[in-house]
Amino acid sequence: MDTLLSFRPLFDLFLIHLGFAYSQYIVLRAGAFSIGNVGLSAIGAYTAAILTVNYGLPLPVTLLAGAFAGLAFGALLAIPLARLRGVYQAIASLAFVQIVLSANLYAENVTGGAMGFSGIPKLVGTGTLLVFALATIHVMLAISRSRLGRAFDAVREDEGMAVSLGINAARTQAIAYMISGLLAGLFGSLEALHSYAVEPNQFGFHLIIVILSYVVLGGRRSVWGPLVGVALLIALPEISRPLADARIMIYGLILMAVMNFMPRGIVDTLVARRTRAANPEVRQAEVKG
Amino acid sequence: MTDLVLEHVHKNFGGVIASNDVSMRVPAGRITGLIGPNGAGKTTLINLITGMLSLSSGRVLFGGRDISAEPADKVARAGMGRTFQNIRLQKEASVLANVMVGFHRHETCSLVAAILGLPSSRREDALLRQKAMALLGRFGMAGHADSPAGSLAYGHQRKVEMMRALATDPDLILLDEPVAGMNDVEALQLGRIFRELADEGKAILLIEHNMRFVQELCDHVYVLDGGRLIAEGKPRDVVADPAVITAYLGEE
Repeated sequence: MDTLLSFRPLFDLFLIHLGFAYSQYIVLRAGAFSIGNVGLSAIGAYTAAILTVNYGLPLPVTLLAGAFAGLAFGALLAIPLARLRGVYQAIASLAFVQIVLSANLYAENVTGGAMGFSGIPKLVGTGTLLVFALATIHVMLAISRSRLGRAFDAVREDEGMAVSLGINAARTQAIAYMISGLLAGLFGSLEALHSYAVEPNQFGFHLIIVILSYVVLGGRRSVWGPLVGVALLIALPEISRPLADARIMIYGLILMAVMNFMPRGIVDTLVARRTRAANPEVRQAEVKG
Repeated sequence: MTDLVLEHVHKNFGGVIASNDVSMRVPAGRITGLIGPNGAGKTTLINLITGMLSLSSGRVLFGGRDISAEPADKVARAGMGRTFQNIRLQKEASVLANVMVGFHRHETCSLVAAILGLPSSRREDALLRQKAMALLGRFGMAGHADSPAGSLAYGHQRKVEMMRALATDPDLILLDEPVAGMNDVEALQLGRIFRELADEGKAILLIEHNMRFVQELCDHVYVLDGGRLIAEGKPRDVVADPAVITAYLGEE
Protein backbone atom coordinates (compact mmCIF):
# COMPACT_ATOMS: atom_id res chain seq x y z
CA MET A 1 0.00 0.00 0.00
CA ASP A 2 2.82 2.38 0.82
CA THR A 3 4.45 1.78 -2.53
CA LEU A 4 1.12 2.44 -4.22
CA LEU A 5 0.72 5.68 -2.29
CA SER A 6 4.19 6.79 -3.29
CA PHE A 7 3.11 6.62 -6.91
CA ARG A 8 0.16 8.88 -6.25
CA PRO A 9 1.83 12.18 -7.23
CA LEU A 10 2.89 10.51 -10.44
CA PHE A 11 -0.64 9.29 -11.10
CA ASP A 12 -1.96 12.82 -10.46
CA LEU A 13 0.54 14.18 -12.96
CA PHE A 14 -0.56 11.51 -15.43
CA LEU A 15 -4.22 12.53 -15.09
CA ILE A 16 -3.54 16.25 -15.50
CA HIS A 17 -1.28 15.73 -18.48
CA LEU A 18 -3.84 13.38 -20.00
CA GLY A 19 -6.23 16.33 -20.13
CA PHE A 20 -3.53 18.53 -21.70
CA ALA A 21 -2.78 15.80 -24.25
CA TYR A 22 -6.45 15.57 -25.27
CA SER A 23 -6.68 19.35 -25.64
CA GLN A 24 -3.82 19.02 -28.15
CA TYR A 25 -5.22 15.89 -29.78
CA ILE A 26 -8.62 17.37 -30.58
CA VAL A 27 -7.25 20.26 -32.69
CA LEU A 28 -4.87 17.94 -34.53
CA ARG A 29 -7.75 15.56 -35.16
CA ALA A 30 -9.63 18.39 -36.87
CA GLY A 31 -6.64 19.16 -39.06
CA ALA A 32 -5.59 22.34 -37.25
CA PHE A 33 -1.91 22.49 -36.37
CA SER A 34 -2.29 24.74 -33.34
CA ILE A 35 -0.28 24.50 -30.14
CA GLY A 36 -2.19 27.38 -28.58
CA ASN A 37 -3.76 25.02 -26.04
CA VAL A 38 -0.76 25.56 -23.74
CA GLY A 39 -1.58 29.27 -23.58
CA LEU A 40 -5.22 28.39 -22.93
CA SER A 41 -4.13 26.16 -20.04
CA ALA A 42 -2.24 29.11 -18.56
CA ILE A 43 -5.36 31.27 -18.84
CA GLY A 44 -7.43 28.58 -17.11
CA ALA A 45 -4.84 28.07 -14.37
CA TYR A 46 -4.53 31.77 -13.55
CA THR A 47 -8.28 32.30 -13.72
CA ALA A 48 -8.92 29.53 -11.22
CA ALA A 49 -6.02 30.59 -8.96
CA ILE A 50 -7.04 34.23 -8.83
CA LEU A 51 -10.74 33.52 -8.31
CA THR A 52 -9.93 31.09 -5.49
CA VAL A 53 -7.34 33.14 -3.62
CA ASN A 54 -8.48 36.74 -4.21
CA TYR A 55 -12.23 36.21 -4.31
CA GLY A 56 -12.66 33.05 -2.28
CA LEU A 57 -15.02 31.45 -4.78
CA PRO A 58 -15.87 27.75 -4.30
CA LEU A 59 -14.23 25.01 -6.33
CA PRO A 60 -17.04 24.25 -8.82
CA VAL A 61 -17.29 27.94 -9.73
CA THR A 62 -13.55 28.38 -10.23
CA LEU A 63 -13.23 25.23 -12.33
CA LEU A 64 -16.16 26.31 -14.46
CA ALA A 65 -14.68 29.79 -14.85
CA GLY A 66 -11.27 28.36 -15.79
CA ALA A 67 -12.81 26.03 -18.35
CA PHE A 68 -14.94 28.76 -19.89
CA ALA A 69 -12.04 31.21 -19.99
CA GLY A 70 -10.17 28.57 -22.01
CA LEU A 71 -13.17 28.03 -24.26
CA ALA A 72 -13.68 31.75 -24.87
CA PHE A 73 -10.04 32.39 -25.73
CA GLY A 74 -10.05 29.24 -27.87
CA ALA A 75 -12.95 30.71 -29.84
CA LEU A 76 -11.04 33.98 -30.25
CA LEU A 77 -7.89 32.14 -31.32
CA ALA A 78 -9.90 30.31 -34.00
CA ILE A 79 -10.60 33.55 -35.87
CA PRO A 80 -7.06 34.48 -36.97
CA LEU A 81 -5.94 30.84 -37.23
CA ALA A 82 -8.75 30.01 -39.68
CA ARG A 83 -6.86 32.06 -42.28
CA LEU A 84 -3.64 30.07 -41.84
CA ARG A 85 -2.66 26.49 -42.62
CA GLY A 86 -0.06 24.01 -41.50
CA VAL A 87 3.20 25.34 -40.16
CA TYR A 88 1.97 28.96 -40.27
CA GLN A 89 -0.85 27.99 -37.95
CA ALA A 90 1.70 26.44 -35.60
CA ILE A 91 3.88 29.56 -35.62
CA ALA A 92 0.94 31.90 -34.99
CA SER A 93 -0.33 29.72 -32.14
CA LEU A 94 3.17 29.62 -30.64
CA ALA A 95 3.08 33.42 -30.70
CA PHE A 96 -0.19 33.25 -28.78
CA VAL A 97 1.43 31.08 -26.09
CA GLN A 98 4.26 33.63 -25.83
CA ILE A 99 1.79 36.50 -25.56
CA VAL A 100 -0.03 34.80 -22.68
CA LEU A 101 3.29 34.03 -21.01
CA SER A 102 4.46 37.64 -21.33
CA ALA A 103 1.15 38.99 -20.11
CA ASN A 104 1.40 36.80 -17.02
CA LEU A 105 4.96 38.03 -16.47
CA TYR A 106 4.15 41.72 -16.82
CA ALA A 107 0.76 41.94 -15.11
CA GLU A 108 2.56 41.62 -11.81
CA ASN A 109 -0.12 43.03 -9.53
CA VAL A 110 -2.68 40.52 -10.80
CA THR A 111 -0.61 37.43 -11.58
CA GLY A 112 2.37 37.80 -9.31
CA GLY A 113 4.70 38.20 -12.29
CA ALA A 114 7.84 36.10 -12.54
CA MET A 115 7.54 35.08 -8.89
CA GLY A 116 4.38 33.20 -9.77
CA PHE A 117 1.08 33.07 -7.99
CA SER A 118 1.33 31.10 -4.78
CA GLY A 119 -0.67 30.30 -1.67
CA ILE A 120 -3.32 28.44 -3.64
CA PRO A 121 -5.16 25.97 -1.41
CA LYS A 122 -4.99 22.37 -2.55
CA LEU A 123 -8.63 21.71 -3.38
CA VAL A 124 -8.14 19.03 -6.00
CA GLY A 125 -7.08 15.48 -5.22
CA THR A 126 -6.68 12.25 -7.13
CA GLY A 127 -10.42 11.51 -7.04
CA THR A 128 -11.44 14.77 -8.70
CA LEU A 129 -8.70 14.42 -11.30
CA LEU A 130 -9.79 10.87 -12.05
CA VAL A 131 -13.41 11.92 -12.53
CA PHE A 132 -12.47 14.66 -14.98
CA ALA A 133 -10.00 12.44 -16.84
CA LEU A 134 -12.61 9.70 -17.29
CA ALA A 135 -15.20 12.25 -18.38
CA THR A 136 -12.71 13.58 -20.93
CA ILE A 137 -12.09 10.13 -22.37
CA HIS A 138 -15.86 9.58 -22.58
CA VAL A 139 -16.29 12.85 -24.47
CA MET A 140 -13.45 12.04 -26.85
CA LEU A 141 -15.00 8.64 -27.63
CA ALA A 142 -18.45 10.21 -28.06
CA ILE A 143 -17.07 12.81 -30.48
CA SER A 144 -15.28 10.10 -32.46
CA ARG A 145 -18.51 8.25 -33.07
CA SER A 146 -20.56 11.34 -33.87
CA ARG A 147 -21.12 13.69 -36.77
CA LEU A 148 -18.52 15.97 -35.23
CA GLY A 149 -15.80 13.29 -35.39
CA ARG A 150 -16.70 12.52 -38.98
CA ALA A 151 -16.50 16.22 -39.87
CA PHE A 152 -13.12 16.54 -38.07
CA ASP A 153 -11.71 13.58 -39.98
CA ALA A 154 -12.99 14.86 -43.32
CA VAL A 155 -11.54 18.35 -42.82
CA ARG A 156 -8.19 16.92 -41.70
CA GLU A 157 -7.89 14.46 -44.57
CA ASP A 158 -8.98 16.75 -47.41
CA GLU A 159 -10.52 20.15 -46.86
CA GLY A 160 -11.74 20.49 -50.45
CA MET A 161 -13.50 17.16 -50.22
CA ALA A 162 -15.06 18.08 -46.86
CA VAL A 163 -16.35 21.35 -48.27
CA SER A 164 -17.88 19.54 -51.26
CA LEU A 165 -20.00 17.60 -48.77
CA GLY A 166 -21.35 20.78 -47.21
CA ILE A 167 -19.00 20.84 -44.23
CA ASN A 168 -18.02 24.34 -43.16
CA ALA A 169 -14.30 23.86 -42.52
CA ALA A 170 -13.72 27.08 -40.56
CA ARG A 171 -16.70 26.42 -38.30
CA THR A 172 -15.69 22.80 -37.75
CA GLN A 173 -12.18 23.81 -36.73
CA ALA A 174 -13.55 26.60 -34.54
CA ILE A 175 -15.52 23.95 -32.64
CA ALA A 176 -12.31 21.95 -32.22
CA TYR A 177 -10.53 25.05 -30.87
CA MET A 178 -13.33 25.61 -28.39
CA ILE A 179 -13.33 22.02 -27.14
CA SER A 180 -9.56 22.20 -26.94
CA GLY A 181 -9.80 25.48 -25.01
CA LEU A 182 -12.38 24.03 -22.63
CA LEU A 183 -10.15 21.06 -21.83
CA ALA A 184 -7.00 23.18 -21.61
CA GLY A 185 -8.71 25.68 -19.31
CA LEU A 186 -10.24 22.96 -17.15
CA PHE A 187 -7.05 20.96 -16.68
CA GLY A 188 -5.06 24.17 -16.25
CA SER A 189 -7.44 25.05 -13.39
CA LEU A 190 -7.10 21.56 -11.92
CA GLU A 191 -3.32 21.88 -12.08
CA ALA A 192 -3.42 25.24 -10.28
CA LEU A 193 -5.71 23.96 -7.53
CA HIS A 194 -3.65 20.82 -7.15
CA SER A 195 -0.11 22.15 -6.94
CA TYR A 196 -0.27 25.18 -4.57
CA ALA A 197 1.32 27.60 -7.07
CA VAL A 198 1.50 28.54 -10.72
CA GLU A 199 4.17 30.51 -12.55
CA PRO A 200 4.27 31.87 -16.10
CA ASN A 201 7.09 29.73 -17.52
CA GLN A 202 5.34 26.56 -16.44
CA PHE A 203 3.12 27.08 -19.52
CA GLY A 204 5.85 27.74 -22.03
CA PHE A 205 7.84 26.05 -24.73
CA HIS A 206 8.81 23.17 -22.50
CA LEU A 207 5.22 22.14 -21.89
CA ILE A 208 4.46 22.46 -25.62
CA ILE A 209 7.20 19.94 -26.41
CA VAL A 210 6.09 17.60 -23.65
CA ILE A 211 2.43 17.62 -24.78
CA LEU A 212 3.30 17.25 -28.45
CA SER A 213 5.52 14.29 -27.52
CA TYR A 214 2.58 12.53 -25.87
CA VAL A 215 0.39 12.84 -28.93
CA VAL A 216 3.09 12.13 -31.51
CA LEU A 217 4.31 9.08 -29.62
CA GLY A 218 0.88 7.66 -28.81
CA GLY A 219 -0.94 8.54 -32.01
CA ARG A 220 -3.04 11.38 -33.33
CA ARG A 221 -6.06 9.57 -34.70
CA SER A 222 -7.23 6.94 -32.23
CA VAL A 223 -8.66 8.23 -28.96
CA TRP A 224 -6.32 5.82 -27.14
CA GLY A 225 -3.20 7.34 -28.71
CA PRO A 226 -2.73 10.24 -26.26
CA LEU A 227 -3.47 7.94 -23.31
CA VAL A 228 -0.69 5.55 -24.30
CA GLY A 229 1.66 8.44 -25.03
CA VAL A 230 1.13 10.09 -21.64
CA ALA A 231 1.38 6.79 -19.76
CA LEU A 232 4.67 5.82 -21.43
CA LEU A 233 6.37 9.18 -21.20
CA ILE A 234 5.39 9.73 -17.57
CA ALA A 235 6.38 6.23 -16.52
CA LEU A 236 9.65 6.17 -18.41
CA PRO A 237 11.77 8.50 -16.25
CA GLU A 238 10.46 6.76 -13.14
CA ILE A 239 11.39 3.30 -14.35
CA SER A 240 14.91 4.41 -15.16
CA ARG A 241 15.50 6.84 -12.32
CA PRO A 242 19.08 7.77 -13.22
CA LEU A 243 17.84 9.04 -16.57
CA ALA A 244 15.20 11.30 -15.02
CA ASP A 245 17.46 14.34 -15.22
CA ALA A 246 17.84 13.83 -18.94
CA ARG A 247 14.07 13.66 -19.38
CA ILE A 248 13.71 16.27 -22.09
CA MET A 249 16.64 14.83 -24.03
CA ILE A 250 15.08 11.37 -23.90
CA TYR A 251 11.79 12.86 -25.10
CA GLY A 252 13.66 14.36 -28.03
CA LEU A 253 15.31 11.06 -28.92
CA ILE A 254 12.03 9.19 -28.67
CA LEU A 255 10.32 11.76 -30.86
CA MET A 256 12.99 11.43 -33.53
CA ALA A 257 12.82 7.65 -33.41
CA VAL A 258 9.00 7.60 -33.56
CA MET A 259 8.82 10.07 -36.43
CA ASN A 260 11.27 7.95 -38.42
CA PHE A 261 10.03 4.47 -37.69
CA MET A 262 6.40 4.92 -36.64
CA PRO A 263 5.27 8.24 -38.07
CA ARG A 264 1.68 7.63 -37.03
CA GLY A 265 2.46 6.88 -33.40
CA ILE A 266 2.14 3.64 -31.50
CA VAL A 267 -1.64 3.18 -31.37
CA ASP A 268 -2.41 4.30 -34.91
CA THR A 269 0.35 2.07 -36.29
CA LEU A 270 -1.08 -0.92 -34.44
CA VAL A 271 -4.60 -0.12 -35.63
CA ALA A 272 -3.39 0.10 -39.23
CA ARG A 273 -1.55 -3.19 -38.87
CA ARG A 274 -4.67 -4.91 -37.55
CA THR A 275 -6.82 -3.53 -40.38
CA ARG A 276 -4.29 -4.84 -42.88
CA ALA A 277 -4.34 -8.26 -41.28
CA ALA A 278 -8.13 -8.34 -41.45
CA ASN A 279 -8.14 -7.29 -45.12
CA PRO A 280 -5.52 -9.43 -46.86
CA GLU A 281 -6.26 -7.96 -50.28
CA VAL A 282 -5.31 -4.53 -48.98
CA ARG A 283 -2.46 -2.85 -50.72
CA GLN A 284 -0.20 -0.79 -48.48
CA ALA A 285 -2.31 2.29 -47.83
CA GLU A 286 -0.57 5.57 -48.31
CA VAL A 287 1.04 6.79 -45.11
CA LYS A 288 -0.38 10.15 -44.29
CA GLY A 289 -0.90 12.58 -41.41
CA MET B 1 -37.68 20.90 -59.90
CA THR B 2 -34.15 22.11 -59.47
CA ASP B 3 -32.48 23.08 -62.71
CA LEU B 4 -28.94 24.35 -63.05
CA VAL B 5 -28.48 27.26 -65.41
CA LEU B 6 -25.18 28.82 -66.45
CA GLU B 7 -25.34 32.33 -67.94
CA HIS B 8 -22.25 33.62 -69.76
CA VAL B 9 -19.88 32.04 -67.27
CA HIS B 10 -16.40 33.45 -67.71
CA LYS B 11 -13.17 32.68 -65.90
CA ASN B 12 -9.65 33.78 -66.58
CA PHE B 13 -6.49 33.03 -64.64
CA GLY B 14 -4.48 36.14 -65.49
CA GLY B 15 -4.25 36.07 -69.29
CA VAL B 16 -5.40 32.46 -69.63
CA ILE B 17 -9.09 32.11 -70.37
CA ALA B 18 -10.28 28.85 -68.81
CA SER B 19 -13.95 29.37 -69.36
CA ASN B 20 -15.21 31.61 -72.15
CA ASP B 21 -18.80 32.81 -72.11
CA VAL B 22 -20.32 29.41 -71.31
CA SER B 23 -24.10 29.22 -71.13
CA MET B 24 -25.80 25.92 -70.53
CA ARG B 25 -28.71 24.24 -68.85
CA VAL B 26 -28.78 21.07 -66.75
CA PRO B 27 -32.45 20.23 -66.21
CA ALA B 28 -33.82 18.06 -63.43
CA GLY B 29 -34.75 14.54 -64.40
CA ARG B 30 -32.23 14.48 -67.24
CA ILE B 31 -28.68 13.32 -67.77
CA THR B 32 -26.70 16.08 -69.41
CA GLY B 33 -23.28 15.33 -70.87
CA LEU B 34 -20.23 17.55 -70.97
CA ILE B 35 -17.46 16.36 -73.24
CA GLY B 36 -14.35 17.83 -74.74
CA PRO B 37 -10.67 17.03 -75.27
CA ASN B 38 -8.18 17.13 -72.42
CA GLY B 39 -7.62 20.66 -71.17
CA ALA B 40 -10.92 21.89 -72.60
CA GLY B 41 -11.90 23.32 -69.22
CA LYS B 42 -14.44 20.74 -68.11
CA THR B 43 -13.19 20.35 -64.56
CA THR B 44 -12.72 24.13 -64.28
CA LEU B 45 -16.38 24.50 -65.16
CA ILE B 46 -17.37 22.01 -62.44
CA ASN B 47 -15.26 23.94 -59.95
CA LEU B 48 -16.95 27.18 -60.99
CA ILE B 49 -20.40 25.64 -60.58
CA THR B 50 -19.64 24.17 -57.15
CA GLY B 51 -18.04 27.34 -55.80
CA MET B 52 -14.54 25.87 -55.54
CA LEU B 53 -13.46 28.65 -57.91
CA SER B 54 -14.92 32.13 -58.19
CA LEU B 55 -16.36 33.40 -61.46
CA SER B 56 -14.73 36.31 -63.29
CA SER B 57 -18.14 37.19 -64.71
CA GLY B 58 -21.48 35.58 -65.49
CA ARG B 59 -23.99 33.83 -63.27
CA VAL B 60 -24.77 30.36 -61.97
CA LEU B 61 -28.40 29.79 -61.07
CA PHE B 62 -29.49 26.74 -59.12
CA GLY B 63 -33.20 26.23 -58.70
CA GLY B 64 -33.64 29.86 -59.72
CA ARG B 65 -31.27 31.13 -57.02
CA ASP B 66 -28.04 32.92 -57.91
CA ILE B 67 -25.24 30.92 -56.27
CA SER B 68 -22.33 32.48 -58.21
CA ALA B 69 -20.80 34.13 -55.15
CA GLU B 70 -21.54 31.49 -52.54
CA PRO B 71 -18.79 29.46 -50.85
CA ALA B 72 -18.44 25.79 -51.81
CA ASP B 73 -19.82 24.35 -48.58
CA LYS B 74 -22.97 26.47 -48.91
CA VAL B 75 -23.42 25.40 -52.51
CA ALA B 76 -23.13 21.78 -51.39
CA ARG B 77 -25.74 22.34 -48.68
CA ALA B 78 -28.04 23.87 -51.31
CA GLY B 79 -28.17 20.38 -52.82
CA MET B 80 -25.20 19.90 -55.12
CA GLY B 81 -23.14 16.74 -54.90
CA ARG B 82 -19.99 15.96 -56.86
CA THR B 83 -17.30 13.42 -57.46
CA PHE B 84 -13.70 14.25 -58.26
CA GLN B 85 -11.70 13.31 -61.34
CA ASN B 86 -8.69 12.52 -59.14
CA ILE B 87 -10.47 10.42 -56.53
CA ARG B 88 -10.52 12.12 -53.13
CA LEU B 89 -11.27 9.71 -50.31
CA GLN B 90 -10.18 9.26 -46.71
CA LYS B 91 -7.87 6.45 -47.73
CA GLU B 92 -7.28 4.84 -44.37
CA ALA B 93 -10.86 5.11 -43.16
CA SER B 94 -13.33 2.33 -43.92
CA VAL B 95 -15.64 2.48 -46.92
CA LEU B 96 -18.56 2.81 -44.52
CA ALA B 97 -16.98 5.80 -42.75
CA ASN B 98 -16.29 7.44 -46.10
CA VAL B 99 -19.93 7.14 -47.11
CA MET B 100 -21.30 8.17 -43.71
CA VAL B 101 -19.59 11.54 -43.78
CA GLY B 102 -21.74 12.32 -46.83
CA PHE B 103 -24.84 12.48 -44.62
CA HIS B 104 -23.39 15.53 -42.87
CA ARG B 105 -25.87 18.09 -44.14
CA HIS B 106 -28.83 16.02 -42.99
CA GLU B 107 -27.62 15.32 -39.46
CA THR B 108 -29.93 16.82 -36.91
CA CYS B 109 -28.62 15.91 -33.47
CA SER B 110 -27.29 18.88 -31.53
CA LEU B 111 -23.63 19.66 -31.06
CA VAL B 112 -23.92 19.15 -27.32
CA ALA B 113 -25.51 15.74 -27.83
CA ALA B 114 -22.64 14.79 -30.15
CA ILE B 115 -19.99 15.95 -27.67
CA LEU B 116 -21.57 14.29 -24.65
CA GLY B 117 -22.52 11.12 -26.51
CA LEU B 118 -26.20 11.47 -25.62
CA PRO B 119 -28.69 8.88 -26.90
CA SER B 120 -29.88 11.14 -29.74
CA SER B 121 -26.36 11.18 -31.17
CA ARG B 122 -25.98 7.42 -30.82
CA ARG B 123 -29.36 6.80 -32.45
CA GLU B 124 -28.45 9.03 -35.36
CA ASP B 125 -25.15 7.22 -35.77
CA ALA B 126 -26.91 3.85 -35.90
CA LEU B 127 -29.50 5.15 -38.37
CA LEU B 128 -26.87 6.60 -40.71
CA ARG B 129 -24.93 3.35 -40.53
CA GLN B 130 -28.03 1.58 -41.82
CA LYS B 131 -28.63 4.12 -44.55
CA ALA B 132 -25.00 3.90 -45.62
CA MET B 133 -25.23 0.10 -45.75
CA ALA B 134 -28.32 0.43 -47.96
CA LEU B 135 -26.35 2.65 -50.36
CA LEU B 136 -23.49 0.15 -50.35
CA GLY B 137 -25.98 -2.55 -51.24
CA ARG B 138 -27.32 -0.53 -54.15
CA PHE B 139 -23.82 -0.23 -55.58
CA GLY B 140 -22.95 -3.87 -54.88
CA MET B 141 -20.31 -2.85 -52.37
CA ALA B 142 -21.74 -4.23 -49.11
CA GLY B 143 -18.92 -6.76 -48.85
CA HIS B 144 -16.36 -3.96 -48.75
CA ALA B 145 -17.96 -1.96 -45.90
CA ASP B 146 -15.04 -2.38 -43.49
CA SER B 147 -12.16 -2.27 -45.96
CA PRO B 148 -9.99 0.84 -45.92
CA ALA B 149 -11.10 2.90 -48.91
CA GLY B 150 -7.54 3.36 -50.16
CA SER B 151 -7.10 -0.39 -50.53
CA LEU B 152 -9.88 -0.82 -53.10
CA ALA B 153 -9.46 -1.13 -56.84
CA TYR B 154 -9.77 2.10 -58.80
CA GLY B 155 -13.28 1.46 -60.06
CA HIS B 156 -14.49 0.63 -56.56
CA GLN B 157 -12.98 3.82 -55.19
CA ARG B 158 -15.00 5.75 -57.77
CA LYS B 159 -18.12 4.02 -56.51
CA VAL B 160 -17.32 5.05 -52.94
CA GLU B 161 -17.08 8.67 -54.10
CA MET B 162 -20.44 8.33 -55.82
CA MET B 163 -22.10 6.80 -52.77
CA ARG B 164 -20.68 9.59 -50.62
CA ALA B 165 -22.06 12.19 -53.04
CA LEU B 166 -25.45 10.44 -53.04
CA ALA B 167 -25.47 10.36 -49.24
CA THR B 168 -25.79 14.15 -49.33
CA ASP B 169 -29.10 13.51 -51.17
CA PRO B 170 -28.36 16.14 -53.80
CA ASP B 171 -30.77 17.59 -56.35
CA LEU B 172 -27.89 17.88 -58.81
CA ILE B 173 -24.99 15.47 -59.14
CA LEU B 174 -21.82 16.43 -60.98
CA LEU B 175 -19.90 13.35 -62.02
CA ASP B 176 -16.34 14.00 -63.15
CA GLU B 177 -15.37 11.00 -65.28
CA PRO B 178 -17.28 8.45 -63.19
CA VAL B 179 -16.48 5.35 -65.25
CA ALA B 180 -12.79 6.00 -65.90
CA GLY B 181 -10.90 2.81 -65.03
CA MET B 182 -13.99 0.60 -65.20
CA ASN B 183 -14.81 -2.15 -67.65
CA ASP B 184 -17.92 -2.05 -69.82
CA VAL B 185 -19.98 -4.26 -67.52
CA GLU B 186 -19.28 -2.08 -64.48
CA ALA B 187 -19.90 1.07 -66.52
CA LEU B 188 -23.22 -0.29 -67.70
CA GLN B 189 -24.29 -1.09 -64.13
CA LEU B 190 -23.45 2.44 -63.05
CA GLY B 191 -25.21 3.85 -66.07
CA ARG B 192 -28.36 2.08 -64.95
CA ILE B 193 -28.05 3.68 -61.50
CA PHE B 194 -27.56 7.13 -63.06
CA ARG B 195 -30.70 6.62 -65.12
CA GLU B 196 -32.65 5.64 -62.00
CA LEU B 197 -31.42 8.77 -60.23
CA ALA B 198 -32.50 10.95 -63.13
CA ASP B 199 -35.88 9.23 -63.13
CA GLU B 200 -36.19 10.12 -59.45
CA GLY B 201 -36.00 13.75 -60.56
CA LYS B 202 -32.35 14.54 -59.94
CA ALA B 203 -30.35 16.57 -62.43
CA ILE B 204 -27.13 14.90 -63.54
CA LEU B 205 -24.15 16.49 -65.24
CA LEU B 206 -21.83 13.86 -66.60
CA ILE B 207 -18.28 14.62 -67.66
CA GLU B 208 -16.90 11.71 -69.57
CA HIS B 209 -14.33 10.63 -72.12
CA ASN B 210 -16.00 7.32 -72.90
CA MET B 211 -18.05 8.39 -75.96
CA ARG B 212 -20.05 5.20 -76.11
CA PHE B 213 -21.13 5.69 -72.51
CA VAL B 214 -22.14 9.29 -73.22
CA GLN B 215 -24.08 8.34 -76.32
CA GLU B 216 -25.99 5.63 -74.53
CA LEU B 217 -26.82 7.62 -71.45
CA CYS B 218 -27.09 11.34 -72.10
CA ASP B 219 -30.21 13.15 -73.16
CA HIS B 220 -28.31 16.25 -74.20
CA VAL B 221 -24.62 16.92 -74.70
CA TYR B 222 -22.46 20.03 -74.57
CA VAL B 223 -19.01 20.05 -76.15
CA LEU B 224 -16.28 22.22 -74.68
CA ASP B 225 -13.01 23.10 -76.37
CA GLY B 226 -10.50 25.71 -75.22
CA GLY B 227 -12.97 26.92 -72.59
CA ARG B 228 -15.66 27.61 -75.22
CA LEU B 229 -18.81 25.67 -76.11
CA ILE B 230 -18.42 24.51 -79.69
CA ALA B 231 -21.50 22.35 -80.02
CA GLU B 232 -24.58 21.07 -78.22
CA GLY B 233 -27.50 18.82 -78.97
CA LYS B 234 -28.48 15.16 -79.10
CA PRO B 235 -25.48 12.89 -78.60
CA ARG B 236 -25.88 11.33 -82.06
CA ASP B 237 -25.86 14.72 -83.79
CA VAL B 238 -23.03 16.11 -81.72
CA VAL B 239 -20.55 13.34 -82.49
CA ALA B 240 -21.20 13.86 -86.19
CA ASP B 241 -20.57 17.62 -85.93
CA PRO B 242 -17.46 18.56 -87.97
CA ALA B 243 -16.34 21.07 -85.32
CA VAL B 244 -16.42 18.34 -82.66
CA ILE B 245 -14.51 15.88 -84.83
CA THR B 246 -11.89 18.55 -85.49
CA ALA B 247 -11.58 19.32 -81.78
CA TYR B 248 -11.02 15.68 -80.88
CA LEU B 249 -9.02 14.44 -83.84
CA GLY B 250 -7.48 17.60 -85.26
CA GLU B 251 -7.81 19.05 -88.78
CA GLU B 252 -7.68 16.84 -91.83
